[in-house]
Amino acid sequence: MVTLKPEEAGLSRLLDIILDKGVIIDANTKVNLKDLELLGTKARIALASFEMAQKVGLIFPENTNLNTQSWRDLVTKRSCPACGMESTHTELSEGCPWCGFSYIQSER
Amino acid sequence: MENRTLAPEKEHSGLADAIDRILDKGLVINADIIVSVAGVELLGIKIRAALASFETAAKYGLEFPSGTNLETTAWKNAVIDKEDCPQCGKQVNRDELLNSACPWCGWESARAKKKNTIKVGAKVEVRS
Repeated sequence: MVTLKPEEAGLSRLLDIILDKGVIIDANTKVNLKDLELLGTKARIALASFEMAQKVGLIFPENTNLNTQSWRDLVTKRSCPACGMESTHTELSEGCPWCGFSYIQSER
Repeated sequence: MENRTLAPEKEHSGLADAIDRILDKGLVINADIIVSVAGVELLGIKIRAALASFETAAKYGLEFPSGTNLETTAWKNAVIDKEDCPQCGKQVNRDELLNSACPWCGWESARAKKKNTIKVGAKVEVRS
């Protein structure tokens, strides 16, 4: 099978994982002095790529137009298991238009 | 035909590549931070931020600073669906790359090859 997008290693791979999976930082800190709570912080931080943010429903900044083609593509497009290139679900089920890969089920 | 690589080899580990990915995929940073002093909530910070390249920002409809002229050709080109050619790595209009061939290196997708074989088959029939 032809690999059109090879696996990469190193920093970019790490970054891919972070962006694609998303990161949540949930941290509470307290600084006490003799039972007196001096300083406290509560932080809820979410980091994610646009794709993941859309999947898990993170809020985008105000006035973001959520009706563009790219948003619709995020919902309809899947990456091919063989070559990794993206195409819509219907295109994929008829055989990947990029590399010709087809699911066993659709070959029957 | 000689199989030449037209695009220079991309490095896949450097900082530049990392930044390239962030800008290309876009990054959402949402944060709620509360700072309290002596048990009293004093300071609240709410961040809804999106970081992306101009092209990605235009595709996903992020708002641009007031006074940005969105009628230029560069903006219209940014919204067109493009894909990197798997062979030479150059950006090509997705429809063109999928349905005909890469205009830079001539790479053909499985779909385009299928179409061409059908055409060739038709020609053979006419000749016989």
